[in-house]
Amino acid sequence: MAKVLFDWDYSSYPGAKAYPHLFKPIQIGNLTVPNRIKYAATEDNLNDHNGFITDADVAYMRSRAEGVVGGLCFMQGVYMDKPGKGQGYVGQAACWDDKYIPGLKSIADAIHEKKAIAGFQLMDCGRVGAVEVESGHAPSTVPQRLRIFKPMYEMTHAEVKEMIQQHVDAARRGVEAGFDVMEISGIVGYLISNFLSSYTNRRTDEYGGDIRGRCQAMVEIIQGVKEVCGPDIPVGIRLCSDELLDDVRGNTPEESMVTYKMAEEAGADYISCTLGWQESIYPVISRDIPQGNWLYLAKRAKEHVNIPIQMAYRLFTPDKPNQAIGDEELDIWEICRSMIADPLMPKKVLEGREDEVRHCVACNLCLARLFRDAPMTCYINPRCAHEHDEAFTPQATDEEKEIMIVGAGPAGLECAYVAAQRGHEVHVYDKRDALGGTLLEASKAPYGDEELMTCVNFQKTMCEKAGVEFHLGEAVTEQLIADEMPDSVVLATGPTYPEVPDQDSGNVVNVLDVLSGKADVGESVVVWGNRKPGIGAALFLAKQGKKVTIVGREKTAGFDINPSFKWRYMIYLKQNGVMAYNDCDIEEIGDGEIIVKTYDGYRFPVQCDTVVLSEREANDALKKTVQSEGIELFVIGDALVPRNLSSAVHDGYRIGLRI
Amino acid sequence: MPVNAEKEITKLWKNLHSAQKEICSTYYRWREAALEVAGPDADPTDIALKAAEVFGRDMGKNLLPRMNWLKGEEGFMMNLGRSLAGIWVTEGGIAFAEKGENPGEILIRCTRCPWPTVAKAYGVPMEEVALTRERLFQTMLKDVSVFMNVDVRIEMLKAIPRGEGEYLFRLYKAT
Repeated sequence: MAKVLFDWDYSSYPGAKAYPHLFKPIQIGNLTVPNRIKYAATEDNLNDHNGFITDADVAYMRSRAEGVVGGLCFMQGVYMDKPGKGQGYVGQAACWDDKYIPGLKSIADAIHEKKAIAGFQLMDCGRVGAVEVESGHAPSTVPQRLRIFKPMYEMTHAEVKEMIQQHVDAARRGVEAGFDVMEISGIVGYLISNFLSSYTNRRTDEYGGDIRGRCQAMVEIIQGVKEVCGPDIPVGIRLCSDELLDDVRGNTPEESMVTYKMAEEAGADYISCTLGWQESIYPVISRDIPQGNWLYLAKRAKEHVNIPIQMAYRLFTPDKPNQAIGDEELDIWEICRSMIADPLMPKKVLEGREDEVRHCVACNLCLARLFRDAPMTCYINPRCAHEHDEAFTPQATDEEKEIMIVGAGPAGLECAYVAAQRGHEVHVYDKRDALGGTLLEASKAPYGDEELMTCVNFQKTMCEKAGVEFHLGEAVTEQLIADEMPDSVVLATGPTYPEVPDQDSGNVVNVLDVLSGKADVGESVVVWGNRKPGIGAALFLAKQGKKVTIVGREKTAGFDINPSFKWRYMIYLKQNGVMAYNDCDIEEIGDGEIIVKTYDGYRFPVQCDTVVLSEREANDALKKTVQSEGIELFVIGDALVPRNLSSAVHDGYRIGLRI
Repeated sequence: MPVNAEKEITKLWKNLHSAQKEICSTYYRWREAALEVAGPDADPTDIALKAAEVFGRDMGKNLLPRMNWLKGEEGFMMNLGRSLAGIWVTEGGIAFAEKGENPGEILIRCTRCPWPTVAKAYGVPMEEVALTRERLFQTMLKDVSVFMNVDVRIEMLKAIPRGEGEYLFRLYKAT
């Protein structure tokens, strides 16, 4: 009889009726998991740089444990060697000594508090490790493709044996700390995947050679970990179903399936199906990849093994995994970024509050920060990684105020619902008839930007539930402010656009009018501004077959796009034939051409029949009026400093807390 | 539109050539510094070849992100040859890659190279100039070979500083 850790009955919940396959139990090894939901192990850089668990990490995990409503909740992967060659993140949890057990236990306890199943992950970062030391270890000495990673040196046979034992010892510590499921990470360039791949494993001993030889280290780790875990603690492994490394002669998809079979033969109780490496040249999880794009790999995995298959990777909403589980193409829905954006996402789905889900926008800022030694944050969720900090939690106000928020974009709406939740009377004004501000237009840009509007949809729901009053189609004037005399005014009016210099007869249009289709745009276009709004507009126009050139002041195009996504945009620009002149400005707009001036004074003409303005400036409108009335004033979002959606949301949230 | 294209291009062209010449001059100034530090017993060619290895190691790393086997061995070798020729072009040379007679063999020709001219001004032996170029390319390919698990080699068949009219390198895969 399989072990049941906590009793859960979902039958009365609306989500269980809407998504019946997600909320039915499954057996993994000798353990019954009450639903098909898993928070996948994710680094967060919240821990002490010596590898000890912090309160911030415990709080972060507790909130995710609440979210999985009885399902699997995995803490981040731990590194297992004292020198730290396997450490890939500065705030990664360690497990190379028993002294770490109390901290790890605090995470297991926090997960159990929420009646969820606590998962422990063993993760030697291998080729992408050695974050705090000069060099790392790998099956073979293969130079790094990317300079940000440290040089790797081939492990001796004895070091391989030692590494295997480190996994076993760490697993034992995980068990002692109270975890219920054990997982081995063998993906995206971490050590086990280095052993499996023909790209990085050139060994000639029993840990190298053909694919079966390259699996040997994995097999011994699984067998050793199984032994210390015993029959009641399932052991799973995360493995690439397709490395996407064909450009550097990595494993074929067929070889990857051999790794799955060998993991199963070695005793793995489940496999988490992933794809791609950090060094891969193909996009896997960015916004331009359609939802559910990779489910065929889970299906293929299920055709090769008989143990449960789990998968994350662009499955942000419950419909697709529910369907895939129903069709027996998937067993467990893994969630990573979606629960960074909203830790309670599955819980809200279960409770029929799907409209309250703050959806991930697949920007990968969270990952970009981790790779740059910064603590976890979320583009769209200001509370992420501050779960332990009361200052980031809305508290009831002592002094109820009447608040006028000018602008119904993401900054204004975020501020509105947070302030309203705290007990203020909030009125949101916008001269337009719709909610969303400039995001209404920005979300028209290609390559998945329509997903950005999920932010506004969430905010709208939250505002409505918090009692925010909307005044749409109503422009705020000096007179209106004087008549209403609110206690506080929040200016979230969005940016302004600079005046056009020396325009003879050029057809100059605004980026918002272009994206909304209101502007008449010629066939040959110059977009002025090389930040994201300009790039979005350039791609929007290039997709219509227009010849597009970008001219911008930033040294590189996409300066404001986070690095984990920026490379995609650079490829899109190239694919769409968009030329970008960076570190340049437009000196003059004339009839049929403009004069571009480089930062060092060279000048050259670019032919065009339309110039699209996308450079933005702060917006001072109404500021003096509010100040002269003696009203408390806050300026947020692009009105304060033109930036991105994330800054707007974070500004709004923080001011919503402060008022 | 008040842009004098000839003037703008001339200005750019002059600055580009000055920069290219300065790259060569700076290298030879550093060479003099190294020789002074090394003392009278040091062999200048040894020092130049060591410098080529240091340069080559770092420049080779720049090639790795662009390595791509998707077009097969022939496409890979041609792209590699173009990358090496491209480095020469950046320095001010006229260089290109072309298919050799044997499968996968690439020839890299350089018909104009700024290095011997500047070397002469600094009194550098011409044979050292030729050997330095060869060592530079050889070192660059070391990491490429390990990275792609293919033994790629390069040999110098002709050299301008040897009075042979052009540089000719043979890029090939060792069997």
